[in-house]
Amino acid sequence: MDAAMRPTQVLPGPVAERLHVTSTGDPDGPVLLLAHGFGCDQGMWDGVLPHVSADHRVVRYDLMGYGRSDVSAWDPVRYSSLDAHAEDILAICAELDLHDVTLVAHSVSTMMALLAAVREPERFRQVFLVAASPYFLEDPADGYDGGFSAADMAEVAGALDSNYFTWAEAMAPVIMGTPDVPGNGARLTASFCRVDPDVARQLLVIMFTTDFRPLLPRVTTPTVIVQSRADALVPPSVGDHLRAHLTGSTLVQLEAVGHCPHISAPEETAAAIRAHLLPRR
Amino acid sequence: MRDYAELWEHAPSGHLLLDDDGLITAANATFTDWTGHTAAALVGTPFPKLLPIGDRVLYTTHSLPQLMVSGRIAEASVQVVGPDGSRHPALLSATRVEGADGPETRVALVDAQQRRRYEEELLAARRRAEESEARISQAEAELAELVHHDELTGLLNRPGLLRALRGRLGAARTDRGDGAVPTVLFVDLDGFKTVNDALGHASGDELLQVVARRIRCASRASADVARFAGDEFVVLDDVTTSGAARVAERLLDLLAEPVVLQGVEVVVTGSVGICAADVPVAEPDATEIAELVLRRADHAMYRAKAQGTGRWTAHHPGDSDPGADRLLLLEQLRSAIREGELRVHYQPRQHLPTGRLSGVEALVRWQHPTRGLLQPAAFIAAAEQSGIIRELGAWVLTEAVEQAVRWDTAGGPAGLQTAVNLSARQLADPDLVPLVARTLARAGLPASRLVLEITETALMSDPDAALRSLQELKALGVLLAVDDFGTGFSSFTYLKRFPVDELQIDRSFVTGMTTDAGDHAIVASCVHLAHAMGLVAVAEGVETAAERDALRALGADQAQGYFFSRPVPAAEVLPG
Repeated sequence: MDAAMRPTQVLPGPVAERLHVTSTGDPDGPVLLLAHGFGCDQGMWDGVLPHVSADHRVVRYDLMGYGRSDVSAWDPVRYSSLDAHAEDILAICAELDLHDVTLVAHSVSTMMALLAAVREPERFRQVFLVAASPYFLEDPADGYDGGFSAADMAEVAGALDSNYFTWAEAMAPVIMGTPDVPGNGARLTASFCRVDPDVARQLLVIMFTTDFRPLLPRVTTPTVIVQSRADALVPPSVGDHLRAHLTGSTLVQLEAVGHCPHISAPEETAAAIRAHLLPRR
Repeated sequence: MRDYAELWEHAPSGHLLLDDDGLITAANATFTDWTGHTAAALVGTPFPKLLPIGDRVLYTTHSLPQLMVSGRIAEASVQVVGPDGSRHPALLSATRVEGADGPETRVALVDAQQRRRYEEELLAARRRAEESEARISQAEAELAELVHHDELTGLLNRPGLLRALRGRLGAARTDRGDGAVPTVLFVDLDGFKTVNDALGHASGDELLQVVARRIRCASRASADVARFAGDEFVVLDDVTTSGAARVAERLLDLLAEPVVLQGVEVVVTGSVGICAADVPVAEPDATEIAELVLRRADHAMYRAKAQGTGRWTAHHPGDSDPGADRLLLLEQLRSAIREGELRVHYQPRQHLPTGRLSGVEALVRWQHPTRGLLQPAAFIAAAEQSGIIRELGAWVLTEAVEQAVRWDTAGGPAGLQTAVNLSARQLADPDLVPLVARTLARAGLPASRLVLEITETALMSDPDAALRSLQELKALGVLLAVDDFGTGFSSFTYLKRFPVDELQIDRSFVTGMTTDAGDHAIVASCVHLAHAMGLVAVAEGVETAAERDALRALGADQAQGYFFSRPVPAAEVLPG
């Protein structure tokens, strides 16, 4: 059977149900855990999936508050730092008994991934960081350029509020059949792309106010930094910073443009990941 | 062929085409006229650059992924920045489709001046609503504070004290090494009632306020101080044994200072009882232990008072004072009910004219694990004072009613009556009537087979409430008996007033009736009285054949006593 056509299985268990954890690909293959970033849900990885599922057990989930996660389990206090999200990653690994995991994370999830890897280094073989940034603001003290000024922050919060109602409406579980999406031909993408406005607001505020740079030297898991060109959120200098402060890391520069190369250029992104996969420990 | 390009240029909305890298490839005239950008300058520009930073982040993090995954975004609220920096509120919709030269994103931007303002107002309203919600919960918290304070003195009230005590007990799990444990000092004023009676309530209140201030002063800042009830105060603090003694001394000294009320110098003294909760307490037990500690402090206070005014005593674990024994007994009794250590024994009752078994009286026994089989006298009074009697009474009632049904099933005598004793507290319990009804219904015993025995004292302790309960029980069809008749008020009035069916003549008269003419006369008049009022006359404590014969001669209806049978386990009532 074509690996891409293998059924995607929604897994049982309290954590799996809470975060809509799914599994596909080769059940006996090494584990690839895909963590999506801002904006949508695990469907963001759909383009990459066919390129990795033949020889991997691919596990995906929806960030708390996104997609089909159980937003009633969102506690604004608990989730007021990325630690709770990192705990979600570890809880998935524990419930599914995943070991020697290759964790591929995008955007905001990259810092959750690093937090998780620092907590339980023995759990992870390797971490891929797609469009990662440890700090979005500029730091005059040491010349770090995260791309944004402190004044930009207020604008971001304002923009979030302006779209509150759009998002609140989008919370209704509408399945969008999109046969007209280029390159998808016969494939029906059932996407929820649900975002809880309060969750999104909190997550963006955390990302724009937390400096994760001190976390970097504590990471012992091998990392691969995957950067695209002209990323509106992540300037090229951030990739260099990550490379310099993550021990044993590799920096991969993509031709792809924008913050979501795994969507806009799934083949190239998948190829970059495959080229740097470490063998089984 | 028509020129659709013209249609596109002047469509009602601004339109942009983007390539898959997000670079603008075309812009219509509506858009350029509206924003001031020129088409030439726009082509090749990344679309997110037209958005202010906030919208740009949002578009990049949320709209774009959604567009790429689902192929469309609908009505995101953004601002478009003009070349002069002016901002144009717009609703952004986009679709991603397969164009002639690869994937293409079609963006439509609708002027949304009004819409944006409207949404901002709505949002401001939502934030205000959230703030007012926060204010409401703050008001609720303040209300909760009020609920836990005594209006007159500003001290904690009883619920407030219990909450504080539970909190301290729950927190006191680890020994902090200084020997300080949550300790209750129970303060009772001597002579408060005299002041209240002599100088009036206003002065009494003033006195309480003065005392409250003094107790507050005598206590450490960390203490919780409460007016427990009336003229009873409680100081709760984490102190050592010697610390508690010092606080008690200070309290008594300050209380002994004269208070001037309406120009009269009044001296009120106090008595203090101390109890330390020096055991770690599990959260679920905190409520029960809190009550226990307070009771023990209360008892210690009474012992202090018994020694004279202005003294204090502490409760010591293992104290053999009656109060402590009683508490231990009650704790054991609670567990006895839970653990099934209670038994019901039955004393047969004879129908005198025929000599046949007419009924039984259910009597509770306690199969104590170390003290053996205990008679009710050893524990009923304590149970009655503490309220455990409700639980105990309910258990006995259920057991007796179920036993009656078991006898029926086993072919026992038809219409055998079961008598169960009710205490004053049970009679005052609003749940009594539903309990009786439920118990009978569940077991399937006709109400007329149950006799509830009430003592004169129980009837007279709150006659109005008793009357209500009895009327309701009567309505159920249950028979009612006055127990120990002759020992209490022996009043005709209540016999007329209460809807009773039986009069049970106390054993003390029965025992003397064959030797003492007076007792004989009393029994005789009780029987006559009962019959005159249409009641059944039952004699208790019959020990000899002579007594039985004398009762028969007087026309008594039923009798029970050792002469017929001692109280025995159910299996021995009906042999075989």
